[in-house]
Amino acid sequence: MEKIDKIVFGDNQFFGINHMSQEKAQQLSEKFFQTENIYKVYDIAFKNGIEAVMLNSNDRAKEICEHFRSNKSKYSHLAWYPSIPYPHKYANMVNEKGIFPAINDVLFSNNSALGVLGMVAKGGMAVLGKDAIELMKMLVDIEVKIYKGLDIKVIFLQNIIVDLMLGYDIKEVFYEYCTYIRKKYNALPGLITQNMPYLKSKLEEWGIEEVVICSSINKIGYLMSPDIQSYLDAIKNNDPNKYQLMAMSTLASGAIRATDAYDFINSLNLQSVVFGASSEKNIKETVSLIKLGEQNL
Amino acid sequence: MHKIKLGIIGMGRMGITHFSIINSHPEVEIIAVADTSKMTLDLLKKYVSGIQVYKDYKELIENAKPDAIIVCTPPNLHYEVCKLAYEKSIHVFAEKPFTADVQQAEDLMKLFESKGLVNQVGYVNRFNDVFVTVKKYVESGLIGVIIRFKSEMFSCTVSKKEETESWRSFRENGGGAVYEIAAHAIDLVDFIIGPPDDIVGTSMNQIYSKHVEDIVSSTFIYKNGCSGTLYVNWCDTSYRKPSNKLELFGSKGKILADQHGIKIFMNEDDLSETKYKKGWNTVYITDIFTPVPFYVRGNEFTRQLYHFANTILGQEKGNICTFKDGFYAQNIMHQLFIDAQKNAIIE
Ligand SMILES: NC(=O)c1ccc[n+]([C@@H]2O[C@H](COP(=O)([O-])OP(=O)(O)OC[C@H]3O[C@@H](n4cnc5c(N)ncnc54)[C@H](O)[C@@H]3O)[C@@H](O)[C@H]2O)c1
Repeated sequence: MEKIDKIVFGDNQFFGINHMSQEKAQQLSEKFFQTENIYKVYDIAFKNGIEAVMLNSNDRAKEICEHFRSNKSKYSHLAWYPSIPYPHKYANMVNEKGIFPAINDVLFSNNSALGVLGMVAKGGMAVLGKDAIELMKMLVDIEVKIYKGLDIKVIFLQNIIVDLMLGYDIKEVFYEYCTYIRKKYNALPGLITQNMPYLKSKLEEWGIEEVVICSSINKIGYLMSPDIQSYLDAIKNNDPNKYQLMAMSTLASGAIRATDAYDFINSLNLQSVVFGASSEKNIKETVSLIKLGEQNL
Repeated sequence: MHKIKLGIIGMGRMGITHFSIINSHPEVEIIAVADTSKMTLDLLKKYVSGIQVYKDYKELIENAKPDAIIVCTPPNLHYEVCKLAYEKSIHVFAEKPFTADVQQAEDLMKLFESKGLVNQVGYVNRFNDVFVTVKKYVESGLIGVIIRFKSEMFSCTVSKKEETESWRSFRENGGGAVYEIAAHAIDLVDFIIGPPDDIVGTSMNQIYSKHVEDIVSSTFIYKNGCSGTLYVNWCDTSYRKPSNKLELFGSKGKILADQHGIKIFMNEDDLSETKYKKGWNTVYITDIFTPVPFYVRGNEFTRQLYHFANTILGQEKGNICTFKDGFYAQNIMHQLFIDAQKNAIIE
């Protein structure tokens, strides 16, 4: 399995997402309303040695991808880690119309470029409704379209979908997703979860390997189900050739000081960390604190 | 005891989520689902092994003989489904709003209490770490006697004129900002302060919806002199997801709470175990969260269904959000509609 980057730069800070404070989230979302300000932060991150970007397929991602595509020569070394889908995009549509009509709209409006027209000819939703796997592939294509032309290393499925599907205990969905990402996009399949130990044990049971698993990992056990000890055991026993583990929410939304947070992270058998920050000071500090895999040298 | 044999009726957004969550409970076996959508049933049958699917919930109840059901149909159907479950002595978790009619809510409460069946309504904030902590503080007298409060809820559920109509477009079916959103803000008041003695000054507005209200505000009055306001708006696009806000002013301090955490202002140092200092104190969600066995969309969603299952198993008391609580909220919503009509702003 291709090795993933040890440090990946995330995007929550840009889009008004802060689990700790609505106020802070608001301030940031004002600041980054101008996309120029987002590019400035990216440039600071790259200047400090970061070479990998995780970006959710939200309504502003298209513009951001466009920027990096049109300046590709300047950013040629960057590796992209898209996360799909943007759940809020679907939430309101589903609310208004119901699930299937909403999917129908997503698939069949303005997507002629995807060869969806062919599907319409074959019977559209009536046929797709019987084949969840085909449906999933088409939705993946629609979400990934905006990243076209960028160097995609991992394509992550958001935890809202992963954990929902995990509860249904259906091997096929996970197997087909992973296979499709490898074949069609020549990228590593990634799964974001708030139930890492359980997901990992299920993947093992199903024989699905070479997957990147991203989950909250912090020393207070925040957003880590069922509990922190299960995470520590799963991490310790992990073979990184089978599953590369990426930590997110390392600061638990700011509840843990960066030095303490990364002392903990560095002591674990992890392959990568995704973090977000918007000031040069915090970016510099975080980059200098992350020392994965150096403990045992 | 064998595993709880569970049926889910209504496999829309909530049914889909509840399935995933409760399927993780080691003592629960989901044996059957019912929905009127053929496409939904076809998919479940194809991908979920061992599941029975029914177009008619009555057949599910007759043939699959579940010990318990989760009801996630549109609210106007909750009554008939619950009623049949009662006749067959089946435990019920019903989504909120409990019904779309206050009399039906009262009937169901009485029926289920009379048979001692486990009964729960989906007011999920009662399982949220922040609001559970606020309730604990209020009950312990941390900020003294509550004199004024505000309960607000905002979401961007409706942000343009509807193109198509569904059950959500009509109040008779359980649609509208009161049933869908305000229900949560109202239940929080019930949960933390108790049901009001009178409701006045209710007004409702439409912005985008054709038949139902988009905004509601009102004043709750209590005999002991306490009063509070309710303001709920489901057209507020500045909110990315539904958000509750609660503000309590008491004789010894005040509390501001939302899903992110709690801010507490103390008039004097608190000498009890909290040790909050005079002035502002902040409690973050990271200080008070308790992890759940399986996470799908927030700890509280897992905790409420595990509470239901564990109550059936005799491991929990089943007293956190009963049909009685569902009836209280229903009654308040009923009063809101009457008061709003009197003030005649919507129609
Ligand atoms: N607790 C919460 O935060 C929350 C959030 C959303 C919805 N809800 C509540 O959950 C319930 C369902 O809402 P939803 O958003 O899932 O709606 P939905 O429209 O997505 O789902 C309703 C489902 O019921 C099915 N249905 C309709 N008639 C039926 C019948 N006779 N028999 C069986 N199935 C039938 C529909 O086909 C649909 O799949 C409502 O009471 C709603 O208020 C609660």
